Amino acid sequence: MTEPTPDGRSQGGPEKGSQGEPDAPRRDGVIVVAVTVTRTGGFAGLRRTWHAEPDTAEAPQWIALIDGCPWDAADPARDLAPIGADRFVWHVDARCGDAAREAALADPEVQGPWRDLIDAVRAAKTEPRPPRTAR
Amino acid sequence: MTHAIVPPYLLARIAAAREPTWARAAHAARATLETPREYRTVRSRIRMSVEEPGTLVFEGGPAPDRTISDARHLENLPGVRVRGEDDPPTGDADVDEAFDGLGATFDFYWDAYGRSSIDGAGGELLATVHYGRDYDNAFWNGERMVFGDGDGEIFVGFTQSLTVVAHELAHGVTEYEGGLVYQGQSGALNESLSDVFGALTEQHHLGQSAEEATWLIGEGIFTPAVQGVALRSLAAPGTAYDDDVLGRDPQPAHMDDYVQTPDDNGGVHINSGIPNHAFYLTATALGGRAWERAGLIWYRTLTSGTLSPTSDFAAFARATVASAEAEYGEGSEEVDAVRAGWTGVGVFDDGTDA
Repeated sequence: MTEPTPDGRSQGGPEKGSQGEPDAPRRDGVIVVAVTVTRTGGFAGLRRTWHAEPDTAEAPQWIALIDGCPWDAADPARDLAPIGADRFVWHVDARCGDAAREAALADPEVQGPWRDLIDAVRAAKTEPRPPRTAR
Repeated sequence: MTHAIVPPYLLARIAAAREPTWARAAHAARATLETPREYRTVRSRIRMSVEEPGTLVFEGGPAPDRTISDARHLENLPGVRVRGEDDPPTGDADVDEAFDGLGATFDFYWDAYGRSSIDGAGGELLATVHYGRDYDNAFWNGERMVFGDGDGEIFVGFTQSLTVVAHELAHGVTEYEGGLVYQGQSGALNESLSDVFGALTEQHHLGQSAEEATWLIGEGIFTPAVQGVALRSLAAPGTAYDDDVLGRDPQPAHMDDYVQTPDDNGGVHINSGIPNHAFYLTATALGGRAWERAGLIWYRTLTSGTLSPTSDFAAFARATVASAEAEYGEGSEEVDAVRAGWTGVGVFDDGTDA
């Protein structure tokens, strides 16, 4: 694996019960929002990571995207339904200031607010790709 | 898909019975017949060939029953039906490649093991292509094979590789045979069986011996920008690609390098390298057509009905030895090759009798 992921798993458990505005400490009056999406599995078994760290102006809409997701129903410790084979497995790690949340999702669960959040992260910034030259 | 145990013609005969002792059975049969259910006819075909000297040979056998649907870049299944068994090619490469790939896989299972389709009973082969937008995956959803188009950046698509189509179909076979739980070692065995029968389907299709085969899975699905020949290699796990973006093929070829990870259902696509390589070692030790002896032993192991869905590598390895003994006898070269294969990847200890 080339990119060591900014792995949210060492950041402690998900912050639960904060359905409204996350209780986010401000640094210089700024809430730092960061979301990392990791996709593993699939036929290829490749690990892909996307990361978004929106600037202050965009923070409110990102917080809304994050709060729109049912985090409690996506506890990373639960067993994912083993239906079929070669499906993607998703891991989402969101931080708003010091509040951190984590989710694990089976591919068919990536719908609605989860899909919106994941698509936003993938669109915001793809994983770092060194420029390719013709080989 | 409905499979009735009692065929409809028999139900009709029972229903029509007038003997008093059959009254209850006749009533039950009539009730069964009145219940709306789908009866399928199983397809069959006749192959004609001329064998010298001038003998015309008719050979009857089952035929595939394929239906390809097009998701039209949405993520809804099954999508729009675009090609059935009797339809001509559509001109859409993905549709026609999936159709042909399923046909080649069907032929492999029938010719090599006398198995008719995924369920062994001539059941339909269902596939959907053009799933999602830039969707970088091919998967088995429990009832059909689903193929994305790839994003054009890493993957050019999936249907052009017979090993991929056959890999997905093999997941269906494994599931019908009782399944292997898709997590940890049993999941890696599930994956490995799909790679093994995926590779064997291609070898059978091309008429290759174990020595001639590439033993690669997913050759030709990477874009030219990716540094790699395929996704996985049974001959040399860990060497299929080494790319500056994707990283290096993470598959181990030995228990010493088993990867513990919460990702990928416990590394099912990673640790499958170990049983994959055990099969390769067995097949190349025996030589010739890999599907005939090594493949038959693995197939018998999968279909014996004795494999636990939570089998680990060691349990599966012991089951392959038992299958080899049942098929070829204790002390046969096949049994020796199987033992040596599992010893070569560290599942059996050196000198340990399984």
